[in-house]
Amino acid sequence: MLRPRIIVCLDVEGGRVVKGTQFRNLRDVGDPVELARRYEEEGADEVVFLDITASHEKRGTLLETVQRTAEVRFIPLTVGGGVRTVEDMGELLRAGADKISVNSSAVRRPELLTEGAELFGSQCIVASVDAARNPPSESGEVGWTHYTHGGRKPTGLDAVEWARECAQRGAGEILLTSIDQDGARTGYDLLLTRSVAERVSVPVIASGGAGSHEHLRDGLTDGRADAVLLAGILHDGLTTVRKIKADLAEWGVPVRPIPEGTT
Amino acid sequence: MDVALFDYGAGNLHSLKKGLEAGGGTVTITPDWDRALSAEALVLPGVGSFGAAVRSLRDREEDVREALEAGLPCLGICLGMQLFFAESEEGEGTGIGLLPGRVRKLKGRRVPQMGWNDVAAEGDTLFRATDPGQGLVAYYANSYVCELTGDPSPIIAWSEYEGERFPAAVRRGRAVGVQFHPEKSSSPGLRLLKNFLEEAAR
Repeated sequence: MLRPRIIVCLDVEGGRVVKGTQFRNLRDVGDPVELARRYEEEGADEVVFLDITASHEKRGTLLETVQRTAEVRFIPLTVGGGVRTVEDMGELLRAGADKISVNSSAVRRPELLTEGAELFGSQCIVASVDAARNPPSESGEVGWTHYTHGGRKPTGLDAVEWARECAQRGAGEILLTSIDQDGARTGYDLLLTRSVAERVSVPVIASGGAGSHEHLRDGLTDGRADAVLLAGILHDGLTTVRKIKADLAEWGVPVRPIPEGTT
Repeated sequence: MDVALFDYGAGNLHSLKKGLEAGGGTVTITPDWDRALSAEALVLPGVGSFGAAVRSLRDREEDVREALEAGLPCLGICLGMQLFFAESEEGEGTGIGLLPGRVRKLKGRRVPQMGWNDVAAEGDTLFRATDPGQGLVAYYANSYVCELTGDPSPIIAWSEYEGERFPAAVRRGRAVGVQFHPEKSSSPGLRLLKNFLEEAAR
């Protein structure tokens, strides 16, 4: 039986994990390698590094961070942010990433997804879809628009349709973030998650809005996500992956048991 | 122990190298078959596509098969395990042909299989002490699985995905293949790498 995954996201800038609101007031919260170690020990099923530097000069620092992490961590690592070409993908994979997530560059050139999948396998390619709800239409129909640039730039693409296209073009997974819910801690946009999960044939990771253990459960059950991504409530010390998994198991969600003596 | 980690040129070998080192190996990453086949143990990693991996065999598949048949300890991971078979739906070319059968696409709706799945192991020494108490759960990232023809006895572990049972691990002599990624399966996976190396040293 495939186990629903708990994925921890770390925003990385210049080799450090940072935290802020809406990309402002960034403060240093630690060493990515050390934090990845802690989360693996706690039972995280996967770690995501989101490089928010987006400046190509600091690319070397990111590669070095990825390599240091890969050498000591033994769970999957996804890296995203600023990936423009298959060469960028190859560089990160060789440095130690297991999967690469892309957003803007796939909008500019959707062929990038296909080329990446052909070169590295679709299991390496994660399409990051950032969706915001459209204003209510007169017919009452609900829809979402896909955004790039950290949720600042609308693309005009229908988010659900775009997610479907990404999967068709070769993405092996959809990292689906609700811009409306991101940081609100009132739960995932379950309708969005479900709409995408029903339309694509690849795994969907629900992101944006986790504030409680119940929200994670709902994302995996009502939202039909294969995995849930969280950041803030862990980094703020409000809970731990261990506590989350204990509750989810209690509620009948078959999460992966945490091995004793994880290194 | 001198361990050769074969490099198809495709991707991340850092975790696997470190995992093998933690298990007691001295690891050399090499794209050279002469070097790889002269090591005390060979590891075929799991990154890339079947077609690309077959190209990196560079018509040495018979040499590799003979070395494995002669007792070179080998661990094939994911794609590396799939290379034990002669052909794959994923791409052109001929694999090593160590085991009879073929590699075919998963039938489930959601392909690739991405994530942690249960492994039901049938007592092979490769799995010694890999069960943390509630069964072994290992990390998978695959669209293709192996299908044996004839004698099923090489299959030493099974997993199930969307109602379909497939071989999680196979063994022929000192060559073992696992469809999951031990180097991404946290401490139980590291233990499996150590078990492989301990057995190879005997």
